[in-house]
Amino acid sequence: MTSTLSPPGTPPGPPTGPPAATARGLTRTYGRGDAAVHALRGVDLDLPRGRFTAIMGPSGSGKSTLMHCLAGLDVPDAGTVAVAGVALESLDDTALTLFRREHVGFVFQSFNLLPMLTAQQNVVLPLDLAGRRPDPARLAEVVDTLGLRDRLGHRPSELSGGQQQRVAIARALVAQPAIVFADEPTGNLDSESSAEVLGFLRRSVRELGQTVVMVTHEVDAAAYADDVVVIADGAVRAHLVDPGADVLLATLRGDR
Amino acid sequence: MRTVVLASLRTHTRRYVAAALAVVIGVAFVVTTAALSSATRDGLTRGVSAPYDGADVVATDLVGRDAAALVAAAEEDGAEGAEASVLGWASLPVRRDGRTLDGVDEVAQVTTTPTLRWPELVDGAFPAGAGEAVVDAGAAERADLGVGDELSIGQGDRATDVRVVGLVDSPSQLVRADVYVTWADLAPYADELYVDSLAWAGGTDALTDAVPHATVQDARGYVEEVTAEINRGVDVVAILLLLFASIALFVSVLVISNTFSILFAQRQRDFALLRCVGATRRQVLRSVRLEALVLGLVASATGLAAGTAAGLAIVAVVDSRFPTADLGSASVSPGWYAGAAVTGVVVTLVAAWLPTRRVTAVSPLAALRPDTGIDARTAAGRTRVALGVAALVGGAGLLALSVSTTSPLVMVVGGTTAFSGVLLLGPLLVPALIGFTGRAASRVLGTPGRLATGNAVRHPRRTAATTASLLIGVTLTTAVLTGMASARGAVDDEMDASHPLDATLTAGGAGLPDRAVDAVRAVDGVDDVLAVPGVRADVGALGAVAVLGRPADVAAITRGPGTVLEVGDDEILLSYDLVSGREVPNRVEVTVDGRTERLRTVLGEGWGSAALVSASTLAALTDTPMTTALWVRADDGADAGALADGLDAVAAGLGASAGGGFAERGYVDLQLDVVTGAVVGLLGIAVVIALIGIANTLGLSVLERGREHALLRALGLTRRQLRTMLGLEAVLLSVVATVLGTVIGTSFAWVGVQAMVRSVVPEAPLVLPLGQLAVVVLVSAAAGLLACVLPARRAARVSPAAGLALD
Ligand SMILES: Nc1ncnc2c1ncn2[C@@H]1O[C@H](COP(=O)(O)OP(=O)(O)OP(=O)(O)O)[C@@H](O)[C@H]1O
Ligand SMILES: [Mg+2]
Repeated sequence: MTSTLSPPGTPPGPPTGPPAATARGLTRTYGRGDAAVHALRGVDLDLPRGRFTAIMGPSGSGKSTLMHCLAGLDVPDAGTVAVAGVALESLDDTALTLFRREHVGFVFQSFNLLPMLTAQQNVVLPLDLAGRRPDPARLAEVVDTLGLRDRLGHRPSELSGGQQQRVAIARALVAQPAIVFADEPTGNLDSESSAEVLGFLRRSVRELGQTVVMVTHEVDAAAYADDVVVIADGAVRAHLVDPGADVLLATLRGDR
Repeated sequence: MRTVVLASLRTHTRRYVAAALAVVIGVAFVVTTAALSSATRDGLTRGVSAPYDGADVVATDLVGRDAAALVAAAEEDGAEGAEASVLGWASLPVRRDGRTLDGVDEVAQVTTTPTLRWPELVDGAFPAGAGEAVVDAGAAERADLGVGDELSIGQGDRATDVRVVGLVDSPSQLVRADVYVTWADLAPYADELYVDSLAWAGGTDALTDAVPHATVQDARGYVEEVTAEINRGVDVVAILLLLFASIALFVSVLVISNTFSILFAQRQRDFALLRCVGATRRQVLRSVRLEALVLGLVASATGLAAGTAAGLAIVAVVDSRFPTADLGSASVSPGWYAGAAVTGVVVTLVAAWLPTRRVTAVSPLAALRPDTGIDARTAAGRTRVALGVAALVGGAGLLALSVSTTSPLVMVVGGTTAFSGVLLLGPLLVPALIGFTGRAASRVLGTPGRLATGNAVRHPRRTAATTASLLIGVTLTTAVLTGMASARGAVDDEMDASHPLDATLTAGGAGLPDRAVDAVRAVDGVDDVLAVPGVRADVGALGAVAVLGRPADVAAITRGPGTVLEVGDDEILLSYDLVSGREVPNRVEVTVDGRTERLRTVLGEGWGSAALVSASTLAALTDTPMTTALWVRADDGADAGALADGLDAVAAGLGASAGGGFAERGYVDLQLDVVTGAVVGLLGIAVVIALIGIANTLGLSVLERGREHALLRALGLTRRQLRTMLGLEAVLLSVVATVLGTVIGTSFAWVGVQAMVRSVVPEAPLVLPLGQLAVVVLVSAAAGLLACVLPARRAARVSPAAGLALD
């Protein structure tokens, strides 16, 4: 089912080394009997390290479910997930939580920040929870890259949607996690803010060497990514490496 | 709109459970009060007329001596058929085989003729004359007595032996006794007899001749009057209980109001959407008020059922456990039911009033705004702060005034005003205190601690309302505990002064043998024994009396300074029970074997049934004093009943009489304990409602913060940390409320002691029952933890992915 198309000659080049995350035979079913919904039906996937991967597909195709399973937020009914070489199914809830806090970053579509904490407090929250002090250099680098310097003392309600998403990205990046997951991070933003946020995500991959996996509906957003995984009906339809806009559109159209 | 109301009630039923519970408890409290007071009323009034059924008139305002005179007059007058029945009792030790019976001590008269005989025979026969007795069936069961048992009643040389010839029921609770004997056996104790009334059959001339000062009344009129008085008494108790019920209901108002506020804040988008699709402001308002009405009706109905069940259950339990309480049957009149139900509904509607008004303030646009989480940031408005400060200052002024005027009314008004001020300032005060306490907690618990503190103060008004409900209960409880402890301190000092000796054993005859000291020392609860020298002397008209010489080392054995035991060389202290009402001249001659001293008489008590002179006076009276009394100091925690029983047994064997203040002290302590326990127990109901409120606020907040918790979990907060965070939030709420309440409560108690106790006992200190106060704080912290168990479990169970999907 998985086809790998690899148009030649687009930087920074195809992946090498072990993948940041792998999934094998991932199955997730909601409900039972007649009402059963097969959100994922045996997904096999390798997400390469140091790259910006977009997951695309029609609504209800299982993108969010896949991301939740990959990130250890949800437990699949069958199949295995490994992130940074660790098999998630071997971890109990507490170990899984500790693993997430060390190795995984998140950006969600909305409700990303805790309303009672300032931007700065939100950014360092995962480190706080782990009882670690943020590395000041890294913090400064991330904050400056995202242009948040003069917004750090504000609460989420005092920030624009785009700024809120940038704070969320900063939070995801500051601990240098093995992988960052973003679920429609631009879903609530206008095109200008979207471009800004997506640009930052790409810079974090290119300049900070991060691995980012982003779920999105929008072809424009996917264009920022290096690779695109296309999902339909709970299964991977295609895994495109450095697709051009035309290849991407063709693949998506072919799915409809 | 009806579909909306029904659908929302269906969806939100579970969120209303706590509010409903608060109303149910309040209403049930009222109904239970009604049931219990009806049972008490029934029990007390049921047999009231029985002792007077055969009487023509009833005489009251009598002492034992008068009663004795009237019985004698009736017997003299026998030819005309006059009869008298003394209704009252003497508290005397009753022994079987030398052992004092526990809980059997009230001895009363039963007539030998049936005209005025009122107990109802269940077994055996009525006494035909002296030496025979009947025993109340309840008392007989308690002490395992039966027909044929031999009893010894009273002590010293007046002790009388009687045989139980029958068992009886005592229909009237007012004049019931444990043992009934004929007048011949009771007469020696006439002086100790408490006379409630005297039933008289026959012409009244003999009566008024014998005791001219007696109040004489037609028998039927008397019964009616007594019944009315009982009803008034029961009403007073019922009103007191309703006072506690209204405190509980007030706390319910806070809990319900808070529930509605939170629920409506969470549903603001729903309301806005309704407005968007064309619902008018009025329609929205009516729909939420309808919800409140339905809640009030359902909860009140449940409360009526629960209260009735509780009332019946309590009556049944009391009946089986305490047969002497003799409650009647419980019945709640329709008026009470209606009143309780209306109260429940009104309380709910009143509590919902403000929150529902706020609902309609929402603009239709709110529905269209992106969901940024619920931001019900509310703080104290300026008017509120001004009002709060004014109330606090005014209340404090009134409290100060009450201290100087010792006026309880001013004190209550001042206390209420000051407390309202605290409640008004709650949204400022409580978050500040929580922030302060939380910072300390964060140092230990790290990020979860900081998050918990932030969560606890996120909605200052909500936080204040939640803690206010607990604050009320805790303030009143600590005020009562501290006030009672201080009152007890004052009473103890009084007791120390008036009863310097815990127990005394005074010789009936010439002296006590040496073994008596060892026998007394062996009694359970005896700490120390002092042998007091003395002699049997003729004291004026009193005849032969035990005269004690005040020992030099008496201070070792007394409680307090023992001032009442001080006696001058020319004085003789005569105890009241020695004199028993007779006129005593200013000076008496005290004679032993021809040696006579003229001494000034001083009346008093606290050294047993004897006279007390100085050591030198005693030496002047006799060269060979004998141990005439033993003065006993009891262990501080000794069981007063066991001590008295033990001493009685020793006394009986020696023909001596036992006395002393320890039993009385124990009795006073017990009464204070019972009052404190009852008040704290009744306030406990308000505290329970408040804790339900805390659990409720927390539970609703957890629902509201579902996504936040999921986010935190996604970012690495472990389940345990999440539970810690919620637990700490609950504990912060409850402990801050408790500590604040304890501080306010003790200050109120201080004012109370100044205003009320000091007017009676000038030196009364403020006694802080530190142990009890610590228990209050610990219990409320534990209860706070308990309150968070369910919400925290629910929150921790949700997987991060599911939480994020929540809307
Ligand atoms: N908690 C749930 N209970 C039942 N069914 C669910 C649940 N969550 C998701 N589903 C179903 O699983 C399928 C996949 O859902 P998922 O949220 O992964 O889709 P998606 O690709 O993220 O869609 P979208 O682009 O709309 O966000 C859908 O059919 C959805 O209805
Ligand atoms: Mg989705």
